[in-house]
Amino acid sequence: MARVYNWQIGREMSYWYPESRPRKQFAAVFDTNKCIACQTCTLACKTTWTSGKGQEYMLWNNVETKPYGSYPLAWDLNLLDMLNAGSWNGGRYTGQTIFESAPAGERVLSWRPASDDYAYPNVGEDDCAVGVDGGASFSLPHMAWFFYLARICNHCTYPACLASCPRGSIYKRPEDGIVLVDQGRCRGYQECVKGCPYKKVYFNPMTGTSEKCIACFPKMEMGLQPQCFVNCIGKIRMAGYISRPEQARPDNPIDYLVHVRKVALPLYPQLGLEPNVYYIPPLNVPIPFLRQMFGPGVEAALKVYRNADADLAGLLGLFGSTESVMTKWARRGDEVMGLDDSGRELVRVPMREPVFVRPWYDKANNVFRVNCP
Amino acid sequence: MSFASTARSAPLVSAFRRTIWLVVVAVLAAGASCRRPPAPTPEVLALTTEALPLDPADGAWQRAPEHVAPLLPQDLVEPKLSKPSTPAVRVRALASASQVAFRLEWIDAAADDLPGAGRFPDGCAVQLPRSASVDAPDPQMGESGRPVEIVYWRADWQATVDGRDDTIQALYPNATVDHYPFEARSLQPGSEAQRQMARRYAPADAAGNRRGGLRQSAVEDLVAEGPGTIAPAPSTTSRGRGVRTPNGWAVVLTRPLPNGLGPRGRTQIAFAIWEGSAQEAGARKMRTGWVGLSMREAP
Ligand code: SF4
Ligand code: SF4
Repeated sequence: MARVYNWQIGREMSYWYPESRPRKQFAAVFDTNKCIACQTCTLACKTTWTSGKGQEYMLWNNVETKPYGSYPLAWDLNLLDMLNAGSWNGGRYTGQTIFESAPAGERVLSWRPASDDYAYPNVGEDDCAVGVDGGASFSLPHMAWFFYLARICNHCTYPACLASCPRGSIYKRPEDGIVLVDQGRCRGYQECVKGCPYKKVYFNPMTGTSEKCIACFPKMEMGLQPQCFVNCIGKIRMAGYISRPEQARPDNPIDYLVHVRKVALPLYPQLGLEPNVYYIPPLNVPIPFLRQMFGPGVEAALKVYRNADADLAGLLGLFGSTESVMTKWARRGDEVMGLDDSGRELVRVPMREPVFVRPWYDKANNVFRVNCP
Repeated sequence: MSFASTARSAPLVSAFRRTIWLVVVAVLAAGASCRRPPAPTPEVLALTTEALPLDPADGAWQRAPEHVAPLLPQDLVEPKLSKPSTPAVRVRALASASQVAFRLEWIDAAADDLPGAGRFPDGCAVQLPRSASVDAPDPQMGESGRPVEIVYWRADWQATVDGRDDTIQALYPNATVDHYPFEARSLQPGSEAQRQMARRYAPADAAGNRRGGLRQSAVEDLVAEGPGTIAPAPSTTSRGRGVRTPNGWAVVLTRPLPNGLGPRGRTQIAFAIWEGSAQEAGARKMRTGWVGLSMREAP
C-alpha cells in the first residue's frame, strides 16, 4: 500500500496505489433540503443508461429516506458496524479508513450484498426516526425526522472499486476524474461490488460484467450536466469540477460551496475515499447523526446555510437553471450568472423571482384557475 | 517429497517414471479383467488414443489412470482466498495426435450455475506453459514474456449451452419487467435494428466481451503473463463439457497439444477450481502448483 494525502480527513492514509490526482476532478453539490424524493433523477438515469437485460435492478442513481432507507439494504449500516471508526480531532480523523482496516488477504474492508439485498429499492420510504404520537406533529420542534439522500457514484479520488479490482479493469480518467469500469476488460469477479462502500457498482448477470454510474461522461465532455442533474425537479444539484483545497477558486461554484463557504460536505469521509459528491446537510436532523454521515463540519455548514448571505443564496439559485456546466459564476447586484471557462454567460437568474398573481377566473378562456371553488 | 521437486534429477526421474509406467500397465491390465479403476498416479499421464471423448461419462475415461491433485487456496496475491474449500481434483487425461483432453472431477454438494449479484458460478481450469517445458514459468498465472495458456470452464456457461433461456427470469424466476427498449413496436423482432438497440444497453457485449448471454461453448481459452494479466486468447479452439455427478462435477476440457509436446513428451500442468457457494471468482480460487504431465502410448 502507498501513502497518499486525503484532505477530507486532514491526513495521510494508506491506499493501494500511489496518489495520482486527475487534471480536473468531476464533482457535484446536492442540497438535501430541497429534495422531494420524486425519483425523477432515478428514472432519468434508468431511461438513459440502464434499461437493458440484466440492468433491471440497477439504480446508478437512487434516492433513499434516511435514517431507514438504503439501497442495497443496509449498505451503510453494515460497513459502519465493521469499521473501526475513531473520532475526529478538529478536521483530522483519528480512526481507521476502510483501506487501513483491510483484513489480511484483502485490499479493503468490505462486505458483499446478496441478490436479496437489492430487492427493496425504496425500503423505509418516508419512515420517521421515531413514532409520531397523537398531536406530536402540531408542536415544534418536531421530534420525528427523516430526510432524503440522493446518491450517485462519488467518482472518488481514492476509489475502493478501483483498488479492489485484481486485474485493473477500473480506471479513473486523468482528464476529469470520472471512474469507469472498462467493459472490454472486466471479467465479472464482483470484487468492486464488494469493495465500494457506497455500493455503487452493480453486477450485470446477463452480460457478466460490473457496471456503474459514468457521470454521463459523453455529456460532461460537451459541457453539459448529467441527466440526473438536469431532470431534477427540486433543482437540488449542480455538477462541475472541484479543486484541491489549497487551489480553491471562489469563482468556481463547487469550490465556493465546498472549500470557501464549507457548506457542502462529503458523504462518510471517514471511509477514506475522498468522495466527490458533496451534500448540504439537512436542517432539523440530530447533529450526532449528521456528524457520523457528513463529518465534523456539519454544524458550521448548517450555520452558514441558515444565515445564507446574498452570494450564497444567489449561487444556490443557479442550481437547476441550465443544462450547461457552470465552471464559473458571478453575482452582480440582485442577479447571479453562470459562466463557462472563458467567462461567457450561460445563464442569468434573478435573486428574487418576480411574483405573478393569477386571477382565479380566466375570462378569455372562460376557465376557473383554482382547484377548489 | 513431491514428484515435481525431483524433476531436475533426471536418472531418478526416469527410473521413477519407468516404475510408474509398469505400475500403470499392470493396473490397466488388472482393470481390464476385473474393471477396477487404475491406481492414482503421482503425475498426470495422458494415454494416446484415436478419438477423444467430450462426454465426461464416456467409458473410455476409465482406461486413463487417475491423478489426484490436492488443492491449495490462492494465498499469494490479494484478494486471497481466506478459507480452503474444495480439497482435491481428480484428473484423467487422453491424447490424440493433435489434441489432449482432461477429465476433471471434484466434490461439490451444490451446483452453482446462476450468475447474479453476490452469486458465483462453479468453475474449473487447466493451465499449461505455452510451449512444452519441464522448466515452466511461475505456476501463478505465468510470467512476463513466459505466457501460460488456460482453458476455463464455467457452470453458468454450461447451463446456457445446455439450453437455459437468456432471460432475467431464467436467473430470477420472480422477476417482472415492464419493457425493454428493444421491445419497442417500431423494431422488427429479430431485425438488425432490434439487435443494435439491445446492444446499446449491454455495454460488455458492445465491447465484444462475452462474459454472459447466449453462447456456443462452455469454455474460454485464455492467456496470462502473471497475476492480473489474464486475457482471452485470439480465439477459443478448446472445447469442454461439464455434467453433474451424484456429488459434484465432472468436466472434460479438450485443447490442442501444446507446442513441442510429442507422443512421449512431458510438460507441466496446473489446475484450479472455483466453488461458487464459497463466492470464489478470479483470484479467489483453489489451485495447484505445477504437476507433471506425460504422454504415454496406450498399451
Ligand atoms: S462511489 Fe464506489 S463506485 Fe463510485 S468511485 Fe467511489 S468506490 Fe468507485
Ligand atoms: S429529481 Fe431531484 S428532487 Fe427528485 S428525487 Fe431526485 S434529487 Fe430529489
